[in-house]
Amino acid sequence: MLNIKELLDKVKASPYREIVVRAPHTGVVEFAGLKQGDTVRGPGGDYKEKPGTLLAHLTREKNRKPIMAPEKGEVEVIHSRHEGQFVEAGEPLMTIKHYLTRKEVIELILQEALYLFRAPERAKYYFVPEVDQKLKVSGKRSVKVHEGMEFLIVSRMKRETPLAYSGPEGIIYSVYFGRGENVDEGEPLIGVCPEDQLTVIQDVVARIQSEWEEQE
Amino acid sequence: MDSANLGRHKVLIANRGEIAMRVMHACRRLGLDFVCVTTREDLHSGHVRLARELGGDQAVYTITSYLDANELFSVADASRATAVHPGYGFFAEDFRFARRVVRRDRPLEFIGPSWWVIRDLGDKINTKRIARSLGVPTVPGSDRPVYSEMEADEIAASLFEFQATQGISDGVIMVKASAGGGGMGIEEVGGFEAFRSVFRRIRNYAKRNFGDEGVLIEQRIFDFNHLEVQVVGERGGKKHVHFGTRNCSVQSTGKQKRIEVAPGFAPGVVPYTFDAARVLDEITRHSLAMAQETRYDNVGTWEWIITPRGEPFLMEVNTRIQVENGVSAVISRVNGGPVDILAEQIRLALGGSLDYGQPDIAFDGVGIEYRLVAENTDNRFTPCAGTITRFGWREHDWLDVYTQVPTDVPYEIPMEYDPNLALAIVWGADLAQAKERGLQFLGELVLEGDVAGTSGAFHTNVGFLKDKTGRLLEF
Repeated sequence: MLNIKELLDKVKASPYREIVVRAPHTGVVEFAGLKQGDTVRGPGGDYKEKPGTLLAHLTREKNRKPIMAPEKGEVEVIHSRHEGQFVEAGEPLMTIKHYLTRKEVIELILQEALYLFRAPERAKYYFVPEVDQKLKVSGKRSVKVHEGMEFLIVSRMKRETPLAYSGPEGIIYSVYFGRGENVDEGEPLIGVCPEDQLTVIQDVVARIQSEWEEQE
Repeated sequence: MDSANLGRHKVLIANRGEIAMRVMHACRRLGLDFVCVTTREDLHSGHVRLARELGGDQAVYTITSYLDANELFSVADASRATAVHPGYGFFAEDFRFARRVVRRDRPLEFIGPSWWVIRDLGDKINTKRIARSLGVPTVPGSDRPVYSEMEADEIAASLFEFQATQGISDGVIMVKASAGGGGMGIEEVGGFEAFRSVFRRIRNYAKRNFGDEGVLIEQRIFDFNHLEVQVVGERGGKKHVHFGTRNCSVQSTGKQKRIEVAPGFAPGVVPYTFDAARVLDEITRHSLAMAQETRYDNVGTWEWIITPRGEPFLMEVNTRIQVENGVSAVISRVNGGPVDILAEQIRLALGGSLDYGQPDIAFDGVGIEYRLVAENTDNRFTPCAGTITRFGWREHDWLDVYTQVPTDVPYEIPMEYDPNLALAIVWGADLAQAKERGLQFLGELVLEGDVAGTSGAFHTNVGFLKDKTGRLLEF
């Protein structure tokens, strides 16, 4: 049985995640005047329609593009030597110290509790259309997977092949990959919860909900 | 070959892998500065290593994607590049890109044909029209989208008739949505009786999906040989030469070339049921005539199909340098010396003059190019992911190998790009010697890898290439 207290204590010992904000593409950087220690907001609103705090602008081919904070946190490092300079794609611009939210802690601990179906190889993954549809319409936890069920499409080098599930029968509780994203070999794709353990998992979630104080 | 005035140029190499490496070497040979790009996935590719070796760290820029034009222009400006080499694939045949290169506020030279040439010949239908106006035979079929059912019937009937004259008993024609692409909206028809309903179906499909009900009706090509003519022209498009023919009939099921041989046939060595020398002469003549007419102004390839009866039909024009340019170069001599078609492309694009003519070009021997690919040839040529653990070959003075795969450290094949690993070009005094050396190279080659830690699942096409070597240039 899962020791939730122990797991929570482990997370509490280092309740931060470092987010490295990188240049999404090449261009000339202008920072937005933040200082180390400043707090930034992530996108907010019911539909995440309110953008996060402006961190910098990146100008490429006469197009000035804002870069916003992806999450709430505190500015830890600003690579100000790039101010007014041309940077390559992927160059680190800032580091934000992000205090884990309740939701993130739940996901973190659930990874210990759920059965993780992992990527057999580095590739892009998609759900097969039927599963995709169901997840979109009825939400996660609406799809049951069982041994041998072809539920994913593996896409690499412009070719696509189906991938069958193997592991205990259960419902898809968590999805760990994004559309069009490369997943490394061995990384978890989905977290599966056998139906008879659903109450246990819900208990875990409830406990974290009550025990994890979100930092304001 | 003059290289005056080239020195002030700096070339942005907007490509990856082996072609980027060959362009770097060509730039070096011409005394040109260059800058190259890479992506996060490609950081271990040999082209990045070579660029650093030849040009230092400042010669490499990381971008998000080779297909993002803004990234390329942004790097061009940051590095003060003055010219862009698109390589093959990516932007090589995109006339809008070529036009933007020369028309932006800080214009650059485009190393390739002028954008209007790419536009005019990049459109297959337009190419057919130009060809027909010059009396150059093209693949039978519609040279523009067909809307009328009566016209469609007529074309279909003429195609089945053509196939009958070719001695093909189970003729098949292709019906395609003109606005479609990527295999969408294509059907094969096996007989005239079935044609009309398929035509109607595709027309409706095209209307629903692409908003245009135009349909193309074409010959389904099989049992034909695939030949091409290498044309080279100078800026201004007035003077052209050719560097012979190539036979590219050995292909994967996805119609990707796997072996190219130059010249395209071996008359007098391999028996043909038609006059092969005359066919080679004819396609060369037609290609040059079209280059002249369209004022073609850089390197280009005219692709032909040859029927089992020795009748040539123009398929398309590739307005770029091709993977297989080296196999033509290896058999070509200009005023008795070797030629590098890639270097010629750069030199001519930057305004160098074509200071030799066809009489100065001679051909010697036979070249074979093998494309080494990680793929399962027994299972529809499915590309293989994985890590190359051992890769090596024995050096010979008749062999050139171009590869982005390092031979001293393991290399994970990136999945973002196609799985080509290397090109090997073998030269022989005649076909027999070239084949013998080809087999020797493939026999000496070491190419091993593993997928997720096991070697059993790793596949290459080396066996396929060996099998095909025996019957090269035979119809």
